[in-house]
Parts: sequence; C-alpha cells; structure tokens
Amino acid sequence: MLEFDGLHKSFGEVRVLEGVGFTVAPGSMFGFCGSNGAGKTTTMRIAMGLVRSDAGEVRWQGRPMDQASRRRVGYMPEERGLYPKMKVGEQVAYFARLHGLDAVAATKASEDWVERLGLGPRRDEQVEKLSLGNQQRVQLAAALVSRPEVLILDEPFSGLDPVGVDSLADALLGQVREGVPVVFSSHQLDLVERLCDSVGILARGRMVATGTVEELRRRGAGRLLRVVVPDAAPGWADGLGGARVVSEQAGDTLLELSPDTDDQSVLGAALRTGRVTHFAWQQPTLVELFREAVATPSTEEVAA
Amino acid sequence: MTAPKNLSSAQLVRLVAGREVATRIRDKGFIISSVVILLVIVAAVVIQVLTGSGDEESRVGLVGGDASLVTALEAQGEALDVDVEVVELDDEAAARTAVDDEDVDGALLAGDDELLVRESAGGTLEAIVQGAVGQLAVAQQLSDAGIGELDVPEVGVTALDADAAADGQRVVAAIFGVVILYSLLILFGQFIAQGVVEEKSSRVVELLLATMRPWQLLAGKILGLGVLALGQIVAIGVVAVVAALAFDVVEVPGDLISTVAIVIAWFVLGYAWYAAVFAVAASLVSRQEDLATVLMPTSMVLVVAFFIGIQAASDPGGLLARVTSYIPGLSPLVMPVRQAAGEVALWEVALAVVLMVLAIVLVVRLGGRIYSGALLRTGGKIKMREALAAERA
Repeated sequence: MLEFDGLHKSFGEVRVLEGVGFTVAPGSMFGFCGSNGAGKTTTMRIAMGLVRSDAGEVRWQGRPMDQASRRRVGYMPEERGLYPKMKVGEQVAYFARLHGLDAVAATKASEDWVERLGLGPRRDEQVEKLSLGNQQRVQLAAALVSRPEVLILDEPFSGLDPVGVDSLADALLGQVREGVPVVFSSHQLDLVERLCDSVGILARGRMVATGTVEELRRRGAGRLLRVVVPDAAPGWADGLGGARVVSEQAGDTLLELSPDTDDQSVLGAALRTGRVTHFAWQQPTLVELFREAVATPSTEEVAA
Repeated sequence: MTAPKNLSSAQLVRLVAGREVATRIRDKGFIISSVVILLVIVAAVVIQVLTGSGDEESRVGLVGGDASLVTALEAQGEALDVDVEVVELDDEAAARTAVDDEDVDGALLAGDDELLVRESAGGTLEAIVQGAVGQLAVAQQLSDAGIGELDVPEVGVTALDADAAADGQRVVAAIFGVVILYSLLILFGQFIAQGVVEEKSSRVVELLLATMRPWQLLAGKILGLGVLALGQIVAIGVVAVVAALAFDVVEVPGDLISTVAIVIAWFVLGYAWYAAVFAVAASLVSRQEDLATVLMPTSMVLVVAFFIGIQAASDPGGLLARVTSYIPGLSPLVMPVRQAAGEVALWEVALAVVLMVLAIVLVVRLGGRIYSGALLRTGGKIKMREALAAERA
C-alpha cells in the first residue's frame, strides 16, 4: 500500500495542506484532482522528499518513505525536466543509474524503453532537438526505466495530443497490470474517470472526496431521475408525491426523488402518459462532482 | 535484469561527477579552450627564448687600430657579458654610413679616439669601448715607460647570493602560474555556474533531487569538473616544464618543478573554494542571463587576487603580499608567488593552508544549505536569506 497520511504543510502564513490523506493499492490507479493551487504538486513533492511536511508522512509497504525507497519510485515532475543537450539514450540510462541500476543494466533498460516508446531512431539525438511530444516520451522513459515499484506523476497528460494521451494511458495501464500503484494528477477529468480505479479530490488543502468513481457518484448523485416522455402534457409530473421537478422541457424531465420514494411508481406514472423513451438515474459526471466538491465546503470541513 | 541496488553517497557523487566529465570532454568549447591554453604556454616559452635568453650582442665598427684593439674590445665585451663583434671599416666615411645604416651599433675611429654612434651610445657599448681604449693606452704608456710585463692580481669571485638567479626564474614561473591559476579558476567557475543554472532552468534538478540530496549533487559537480581542471593544470605544468627544459630557458629544473607543484597544490584549494562559491551563487538564479550579476562579487575577488598576486612578484616580502597571502580566497594566488620568491616560512604556508581549508568547509556547509534551499525555487533572483529559510522549511 502507498499511504499518504495526514499531510500538513504551510509556506509562511499560507496553509497549503491541512491533513491530506489517501491510500493507493498496488496494481491500482489513483487520480488526483483539484483546482490549481489546491496542493497536488506539494503533496507529490512531499512524497518525493523535495518538500518537507510539517506533519504527517507518506508510507510505502508500511514504512515511511526515505531516500532508498524513493529510489524505487518513478517520478514525473509537473515542470518537465531533462538535460537539453544530453542524448536521449544516454539521458535515460543516466536516470536508470541514479535509480540504482548498474551500467550494463542501465544501458539495456534505456534501449528497451526508448524502443518501446517509439524513440528508437531518436536515441542519439539531443533532447532539445526533439518535438515536445517526443520530449514527453523521454520524460516518461526516465520515470519508467528503472522498473519502479511506485509511480508518482504530476500532470503527466498535460500537453499531449490525443495519440500521445492514448499511448501514455496504455503505458500506465501496463504498469498497473504489473502491480505498480500509480498516482497521477490531472485536470482532464474524463481521463481520470476512464483510467482510475479511485479518485481523490483536493480542495483548499483537504481531501473533499475520495473513493472509486462509482462511490463518488452514488454519494454525489442524490436521487436525480431523468425521465423522457415525449407525449406527456407539460406538468405531467407535478402531482407525483415525493418527487420534485427540477427541470422539464418538451417531456425531458429531471426529477429529484425524496429518499423513500419508489422509482417504480414514477415509472408507472410516466407510462400512463404514453411512450417512455428514457428512464434512468442521473449519473453525475466527474466534472459535476468535482465542481460540487470544490465549490461548497463539505460538512466535514464545516465541522472541522 | 539485475535488481536495482541502493546507492551510497559516494556512488551517487561519482555518477554525477562522471556525467560532468563525459559531457565536458565532448564539449567543443572546452576542447578549444584547453588547446588554446596549452598553445599559449608553448608560445610564451618560445617568446622567452627569442627575446630574453642568451647574452647581449654588439657590433662595433673599427677604423684603424690594430689587432690588439680588436682583442681588447672583445675582452672587454666578455667581461661585461656582451658578445662583441668587431667589423673593420676603411675610413670615417664608411664608418658614418655603417652607423647610419645601423649596420653597427657604433664605430670607433681609433686614431681620434672617437666613438661614432647613431643617437647615443648604450651604457655597455661606451663602457666596452672606453675600457678597451683605456686599457690599451695604459699598456702603451707603461710599455713606453719601460714597464713591460705587469703582474696584475686576478680577483677571485665568491657569490654570496648564488640563488638570486634561480629565485628570479622561480618568480617568473610563479607569475606564469598565477596567470594560469586565474584563467582556469575563472573558466571552471563559469562551467560550474552554467551547469547549475542549466539544471535549474531546464528543471531537471527536480528529477535529480528525487534521487539524491543537494549536497551530493553539488559535490559531484565540483569533483567532476575538478578532475578535469586538475588534469588540465597538470597537463599545462608538464608542457611548460618540458618546453622550458627543451628550449633551455631555465637553469635550475628542480626549482621550476617545485614551483609548478606549489601552484598546482594551491590550485586545488582555490578551485574547491571558488567552485563552491560560484555554484552556490548560480543556484540563486534560474536563467543564464542573470548569471553575470550573481557571479560579479566573486569574480571581483578573483580579479583582485590576481592583481595582488602579480604585484607580489615584484615585492614578495611587502606588507600587502604578506597579509593577503593568509586571506582565504586571495591566498591561492598570492602565496605561490611568495613561496617561489623563497621568502616565506613554513608556518606561514601552513597557516594560509589551514585558513583556506576552514574557508572551504564553511562555504560548503553554509553554501550547501543555500544551494538546497534555492534549487527548487524558480523565477527571479532569490535572496540568500530566503534560500536559507527555504532549506529549513
């Protein structure tokens, strides 16, 4: 387990993290969301030992992370960084060596990854001569080359074209299949929704929501039911007990049901008006959940 | 695939140093500057050969006079360390032409006891001619007076300061050394500073610091470039000694070699200090354009040290040279000159070395903290105080 536990951090007067904690199981992908300045980068930097936390710790396999265990982490910083004048192959090999591979193994691993990420013909070119997309791949190669036990990636998808996004997603899913816990932060919530087993939303230095996408949906969904009845007269649902009409437009009706209302009774009422072309609990998208979580202080926060 | 191992500090430092060396020795700028410095050394030795060495020469025209005058002129020349070449001329007209054409340095009209020169006779020329003519006249008058053979006692010469010549050569070697020291310190200081800023501006430093501590990175960079710098100064020393011996510029090779060794030893201390200071200063900025500003104060210290070092060569025992040869940062460029001049006690050298080593320890410890605090902060120029505060955070 990769555990982030009760992280606190202030920079001067500014309190950036106020008790951030979440857990990532081996072989699962954790999407770390939050608005700009919410503290995602600081959280990841604490894990990498680049920032010292005021309180709390990050543990891997039950032990607090130290320099040795961090060497087993593949890290991609938000601000991409490579030596601009170093050749692709040598650079990847250098990072492999910094992560503890010996010279022979590092060269071989570098060749493998450079090849696997489609950079084979670019191996002997200086990084600064590469396109941005290819530089991103070198960055990824540098993070993966040492066969890390953990991946911590800060905004790995930013700046990638759709093809690049797909190949990075494949690479990450491949790591997850091998049992590596992957944490990445992203603003692209559709990607998070698609790739991640669990999601954490960070706002104002706290985790305002964590869980699987499904759990978050159930929690955030409330009792919103969308019914489309093209033949119904306007106001068809006004008389239904336990259901409030949120919106209604040409039969496309959004209802909020009170907790004890049976959705089947609503379906019965709908059928009585004629055809029912759509009847389903409204699944809030992660974007909607995110907006809601970030916008309103949660009850825990108010209590705290 | 072999399993990744945990790395010791020494291994990490060596990896960083290895990358620095590998990157530099393939850098055209580095190769060119190294070759240029070596060529300059050889050129300097050759110029030394062409201008300075060997005895003075003088061509003297002679109208009239006999063989005894020629012998006397040559003997006088020998006494004054001048190779005198006597050119027999027909008459005064020919003598005037020869002097005008600068065919000869001067022409002696033996009959008139008159010396023709173009503008003014050099001190030596006049002395040679005067001596020769006077000697002959005395001999003539003695012989006229009936005194033939005169028993003149030969003066025995005992040199009380036989080392003076060797000292002079050592000082010249030390000045050479100071110039080389200064050039290499500036050059490698720049390399270090540029390397630090490159890592900051390309942000690769964040990736590096995820695997190592800032001091390991700093130590690796300083050691890596230090190996190159040491290699370069040793190469320069060897080339200089070989060239000096080959062209027969020096008389006492042992002294030259010891001076070169002293310069190299002081280079090691000076490099450690300046490299650390340059690296720490460079860590305060994120762009190469801002580098000159933060390096300025240290560069100024180096320039001052250079001029004091040169000045010390002419006055190695002076107050300025004595005081500055203890001051860390200045001592690497002043003490070698004083040591070469041979006017320094062992305890003085020891004191200067101890102070310098203390200064290095201080810079590495305090500077290392500034470096740690400043590395991950980008943007404008960071104040040292902020960097120290950030390191504790």
